Amino acid sequence: MLSKSQAKLFFLAGTAVFSMAFLALTVDSLAQVPGRSNEAAMTPAVVRGKMIWDRNNCMGCHTLLGEGAYYAPELTRVYTRRGPEWMRAFLKDPNGMFPGERRMVAYKFSDQEIADLIEFFQWIGNVDTNGFPFKPDLAPPAPAAPVGGSRLASAPSTYKTLCNACHSIEGQGGKVGPALDDLRGRYDAVTLDKWLSDPQAVKPGTAMPNLKLSPEVRKELVGWLLPTK
Amino acid sequence: MTYKSQRIAYLFFATSMLLLSLQIVYGFIMAFAHMGYDVLHTVVPFNAARATHTNLLVVWLLSGFMGAAYFIIPEEAERELWSPKLAVVQWAALVVVGVIAIVGFHFNWWEGRKFLEIPRPLDYLVVVDVLAFLLNIGMTAFKGKRLHTTGMVLFVGLFAAALLYLPGVITFENQVRDSYFRWWVVHLWVEGVWELILGSMLSYLLIKLTGIDREVIEKWLYVIVGLTFLSGILGTGHHYYFIGTPKYWLAIGGIFSALEPLSFLGMALYGVTMARRGGRNHPNKMALTWTVGCAIMSFVGAGFLGFAHTIPQVNKWTHGTLVTAMHGHLAFWGAYGMIVLAMIAYAMPKLTGRKRYSGWVPEWAFWTSNLGMLGMTGAFAVAGISQVYLERKVGMDFLVVQKALQVHFLGLVLAASLFTIGIVLYIVNFIGYGLPRAELGDASEDADDDNLVPAAAE
Repeated sequence: MLSKSQAKLFFLAGTAVFSMAFLALTVDSLAQVPGRSNEAAMTPAVVRGKMIWDRNNCMGCHTLLGEGAYYAPELTRVYTRRGPEWMRAFLKDPNGMFPGERRMVAYKFSDQEIADLIEFFQWIGNVDTNGFPFKPDLAPPAPAAPVGGSRLASAPSTYKTLCNACHSIEGQGGKVGPALDDLRGRYDAVTLDKWLSDPQAVKPGTAMPNLKLSPEVRKELVGWLLPTK
Repeated sequence: MTYKSQRIAYLFFATSMLLLSLQIVYGFIMAFAHMGYDVLHTVVPFNAARATHTNLLVVWLLSGFMGAAYFIIPEEAERELWSPKLAVVQWAALVVVGVIAIVGFHFNWWEGRKFLEIPRPLDYLVVVDVLAFLLNIGMTAFKGKRLHTTGMVLFVGLFAAALLYLPGVITFENQVRDSYFRWWVVHLWVEGVWELILGSMLSYLLIKLTGIDREVIEKWLYVIVGLTFLSGILGTGHHYYFIGTPKYWLAIGGIFSALEPLSFLGMALYGVTMARRGGRNHPNKMALTWTVGCAIMSFVGAGFLGFAHTIPQVNKWTHGTLVTAMHGHLAFWGAYGMIVLAMIAYAMPKLTGRKRYSGWVPEWAFWTSNLGMLGMTGAFAVAGISQVYLERKVGMDFLVVQKALQVHFLGLVLAASLFTIGIVLYIVNFIGYGLPRAELGDASEDADDDNLVPAAAE
């Protein structure tokens, strides 16, 4: 039967062996970090963005690389999911983007800080995470693009970067807001413009954010959303 | 109580009780926020509540470990504490640093690194404080007549915990490297050296409560902590699956994480077997109930749920979801919360000479807190698994899914209320013990019921 000294030896030897193995793997892992995390692309702006991320304890609500809290969305791939335009608009006024929804602390970031954060997210989006976050494997198949090419190809850039995050056309896009396939008959150009400039004035309590779009951008969007056949 | 200086432990135990109560308050703030009642958003936003909740946990456990060490080490070394004065100063410093840190969190003064949110200047104070603590128990052990295995494992655990805090004090600009070393602290604490502390406290309590020969208990202590390090060190790999580290961690982390439950299973079997085999009929049944309860619940929470969550094929979907919170709650409670409460339940009659370990209050404290925590784990499980399927597997929008999960947080709040009742009863009982009594500090003291046949309860 096992004696106390044998048990002690098991503890000491086991600890020594596995500590050494762990240290060896650590050396190898750290050697691979610059390549896998694309460290060459870590500009001063990226580092400043990381410091803003730390200083405000963003991990206290969000996850990054899947680490943090589970109160707010996972952000590793937020740059590809939302795009810089959307992120800029969101960070300017986090609660304006999702009125009446779960709130984010209104940090009042400066334009420079927002730019740094976006750089940081762009950098981390390219880290090789062994596939995380994984593509949903039970998602309903996306509808095939219609014959003759998608109308989305001709969409103004504002639509592609902002509106598209919540709304869809021809089944492509976000599912938070209603589909925008056929707005004719439901809106005229004047109402749609008013809606885009101040959603709450048209429909109090709506989840549609006020994106503070310039009159030119609104005109371009209205023209594309309500084409004259 | 054999040595007068063991009384110092009371300060740490009382601090633990206070911080645990506060931790529960912040838990409720977060649970209500998840239900959609984020009413304190402007005063205590979620990230402040979260940092406060987890740091209070770490500090109340550390305070409990320190109190336990001040209680156990003099007995294991068979002498008075090296410097009771330093111990009091060290306690006061711990409280001051803790209060500043917690208040600072509410004013955006922190580092956004999960579990290590305490800002850098305070980190250094923590290091100084822990060095003072280690010096004190180290000198006690060194100057003592002897140091039994249990005391030595406890000291090594505490020393290694202090050492492993250091990687958390380094600044990294690359998020990947930052995360890599953050786990050196967090993982190697809770699934490494803290298990030494847990194992030694468990072994101390079993020796005292069951009367089984020290040699037998300590032999198995070596086996258990041996298994801990055998699995737990490379088990760190389960944090390195998806953070930008090499792919081989999926295999290494997967295999060694699967072995991690072994040490917890060992602890559960150890606790149950020793308690059954023990010839001594110790009157402090509640201390034994908490001790065996801890051995079993740490296997369920840390061992089994940890295993289920760290299989790479599962973790691929559950990583970064509420499933982590499910495992985290039962693991911390079962392994570390319960051992501190077991220690306090054992030490208080010794410190105060009062025998408040029978009757409905301590019994209900045990059962309601444990059933409450199991209920909370269930609520987190339902919320977490739903989140995994809806958000990760079907690809639904985060906020849409969170709305659907709100109802499960009602379940969480109900279970947490049950848990809170248990903790309130425990604390009521703790307060009822009163302050430690100096005149008990005498080796010839008769009130030492470890050597008595069942004493009549008060």
